[in-house]
Amino acid sequence: MSSFNEAVILTVGINVLLALGYWIAVSTGKYSFGHTAFMAIGAYTASILTVNFSWPLPVAMVAAGVTAAVAGGLIGWMALRLSLLYLAIITFVFSQLVNLLISQWDYVGGASGMLGMTGTTVPLVVGCVLLAVGYLVLLSRSRLGLAHKAIREDERAAMASGLRITRIAVGAFATSAAVTGVAGALSAHQLMVITPELFGPHQALLIILYCVLGGVEYFWGAAIGAIALSLLPIYFDWLNEWYEIVYGLLFVALMIVRPQGLIGRGGAGGVRLPRLIPRRERESVG
Amino acid sequence: MAEPLLRVSAVTKHFQGVEALGAVDLEVAGGSVHGVVGPNGAGKTTLLNVVSGYVPPDEGRVVLGGRDVTRLTPQRRVPLGIVRTFQNIRLFGGLTVLENVLLGQHSRAVTGARSLWPLRTGGDRRLRAEAERSLELFGLTDYRGRRAAELPYGLQKQLEMARALAARPKVLLLDEPASGMTAEDRRSLVPRIRELRDEGLTVVVVEHDMDVISNICDHVTVLNFGRRLTDGPPGQVLASDEVRTAYLGT
Repeated sequence: MSSFNEAVILTVGINVLLALGYWIAVSTGKYSFGHTAFMAIGAYTASILTVNFSWPLPVAMVAAGVTAAVAGGLIGWMALRLSLLYLAIITFVFSQLVNLLISQWDYVGGASGMLGMTGTTVPLVVGCVLLAVGYLVLLSRSRLGLAHKAIREDERAAMASGLRITRIAVGAFATSAAVTGVAGALSAHQLMVITPELFGPHQALLIILYCVLGGVEYFWGAAIGAIALSLLPIYFDWLNEWYEIVYGLLFVALMIVRPQGLIGRGGAGGVRLPRLIPRRERESVG
Repeated sequence: MAEPLLRVSAVTKHFQGVEALGAVDLEVAGGSVHGVVGPNGAGKTTLLNVVSGYVPPDEGRVVLGGRDVTRLTPQRRVPLGIVRTFQNIRLFGGLTVLENVLLGQHSRAVTGARSLWPLRTGGDRRLRAEAERSLELFGLTDYRGRRAAELPYGLQKQLEMARALAARPKVLLLDEPASGMTAEDRRSLVPRIRELRDEGLTVVVVEHDMDVISNICDHVTVLNFGRRLTDGPPGQVLASDEVRTAYLGT
């Protein structure tokens, strides 16, 4: 395999993993605007362990996933009971905070970054994607997956059916953070050098767009979104500086024509992006 | 009256200074159908919200079978047996009819890592078969794979009730079950609620349709301006001058 093709597969695979991880949180209707925090936590945890402590990468990836899951669980527990707007703000601020801490932390190279990681391999990335897909296939056919969808659809109705919505949503958020952390670990070992800049708002937005482009209803929508958005810049580089404008216009057109994304179903009950500020419920006293 | 299954004691609730409920008492005997009626704004839905846990009372207690549930969240009350429907139907519109009923069973279903098992395996197979039977009972079998949002209003009401019953409640709270229904659907509602009572279920129903109330209720409580006006058997209560004045303004 040529090194170009290998690089393409690694990039696409890691981005698919990021999209699938993000989708787990989205399956409960919770949109984070700072998932890069978990990506950074995973990237730096794994890099510290492989570079400074000579851990094998797969073991370091597990540690990265667990660390990101703990962070995701804590943030989720604090923020998931609030409206989506607050969740967006809290997750965004958290990601900025993580970024700031990393850029001030000399142990990991501060703002100039960390290096010394050895490259990852195609089988490792593909194996992780397959594991994530396996988990999501299981989730989609299970009662837990049904509970995720119920919370996304209507939290009050979910409560009326006895769903412990906070517990389920926090669990989903922590799992989502874990997968994102593992993707971060892989990304760090692909790039071999990481700086806080890599985990900024631009990357956070990209992860959201993977899901939104493909459609948030099914996990393979997120995967397809990630594949499309990873390949576009590679094969459409002839657009040069027009690239980002075309990109933006494509998204605006998609939101107007297919608000449910490329894969999602439309019509009554179709899954669309939620309102950041929920409509005020009229309290009936009658 | 024997020890009631559900007891609401001196419940008070204010919304922005306005009293929605003022020291309301309610005692619901097990295996009975208890109606709550009153003019618009009397506090009927607020009372249902307090009993189901959606609205915390400022004062007072809600006791189910001797257990104080006042501080419990709605989702913790469901496994104890308090399940409700809503005035404005709340279904999982993007999910199928069958999935809605399966979700109603959630409090009785597997938990933890086993909740990741496919729905057709283990103990869930039994629950799934039960959900299919419930769809048959409510005439929804033909729609089992349709999204709930696509059903006509009457069937959505039926589905909401099927979902609530899937939790195997001890007390079923129905908020205006007949509103928006066709005359035919209303006629089928009355025997269905009676059937549920005969099977031992306790039902609290908020309803404006007095025909429905007088046909299904064993006991009626009348609220007016957030206060309990009177209660008793439906024939006696609905015929009283006090109630007619409050309710009909005549």
